[in-house]
Amino acid sequence: MFSQYYGNYLLNSNIITAEQLLEALQKKSETRMKLGVLAINAGYMTAGQVENVHKQQAVKNMRIGDLAVAMGYMTNEQVEELLNSQKPGYLLLGQTLVDLGYLTNAAFEETINAYKAKYSITDADMTTATQSTSNSMAETLLETVTDDKTKHLYSVYISLLINDFVRFVGADFTILSADIKDIPKDAVYYSSQDITDNDVKLFGTTIAANDKALLEFATRYAEEPVTEIDEYAYASFCDFINLQNGLYTVNLSNEEGLEYKLTPPVYNDDLDSSSIDSQVCLKFMYPFGDIYYILSK
Amino acid sequence: MKIEEIRIMICDDSMLSRKKLKDFLNSIGCNDVVEAQDGAIAIENFEKFKPDLTLMDIVMPNLSGVSALEYIKKRYPDAKVVMTSSVGTQETLKDAIKLGATDFLQKPIDYDVLKNLIERL
Repeated sequence: MFSQYYGNYLLNSNIITAEQLLEALQKKSETRMKLGVLAINAGYMTAGQVENVHKQQAVKNMRIGDLAVAMGYMTNEQVEELLNSQKPGYLLLGQTLVDLGYLTNAAFEETINAYKAKYSITDADMTTATQSTSNSMAETLLETVTDDKTKHLYSVYISLLINDFVRFVGADFTILSADIKDIPKDAVYYSSQDITDNDVKLFGTTIAANDKALLEFATRYAEEPVTEIDEYAYASFCDFINLQNGLYTVNLSNEEGLEYKLTPPVYNDDLDSSSIDSQVCLKFMYPFGDIYYILSK
Repeated sequence: MKIEEIRIMICDDSMLSRKKLKDFLNSIGCNDVVEAQDGAIAIENFEKFKPDLTLMDIVMPNLSGVSALEYIKKRYPDAKVVMTSSVGTQETLKDAIKLGATDFLQKPIDYDVLKNLIERL
């Protein structure tokens, strides 16, 4: 799940622009991981050493791994280990940005180390996130929420939401904090559902997108082509929000003994973001478009 | 009961959930499928079609799945109603079992579990 935050980190740290991030997300599926980025990520080579190897490769007809070993930067075992290791998604994003020229190897090295340090992420976390690290990562998107109880409820919510997006729509997104005022005017298609505590609204949830993003979302979610905005397309939004909220209430019931209920999901094509008392607005940037997710009072 | 003789009612407000469930039931040879999009229609269709098994969502407009379950079980104590919902909180489960639900399937539905359940009818 940390892959989804890496893009957010790069953008918020003003290392890349939103346009560059979108381009990289769209091209990520065609990217092939290269040994240099893997070695920097593992801490086996510095960016400077990778540059040296690349320079040598330009004049010597040798594979990059063999060169790195010949130059004494890595052992054969380390090269083998990197080639056979699991490649987390954030690395693919990093590689794509390097390939596009938006990040140098040195900038990649710096950002990946800073990123891991900032969130106290270990390499093991990068592939298998524990619940508590997921929740604390989610908290980084909740800087505007001050109340501790709400912050806790929302961080558990967002942590699950990211898993559900990965599970039911696809992992090829980056999550960003957004301002509800920045939701584009054409993102009018939505589904909403309230989470209630003893019939009193605890908080509201809304998922919204423009027509193109809704159709792509629905196609992925339903696992079959959805080409028209009809009840079927809306049902994918309603189903997703209902599933997310249902699983959320189950988790809170099992783990914290809290018993919350849900109202039936509703949908329409006239989202009025000015009427929503938004507390958290998230943008899920997919190659096919943006999906907005709002938690409100 | 032979699988092709079983009549099943799917009660869910989501058109997508109904379609996915129906596609699955058809794929295992169960073609006698009735649908309902809320609890009130579920009661109406139950009385009309007397399904051998009802798959009942919980959170629905007009009348919830739990209320529909309560009504159906009062009138037809032998009715087999399996709750299918994403909301499987302890309290909801307790309510459903108390009211006579045969079983509970957490959404997203594990089709192997559902198939086993149908084969046991």
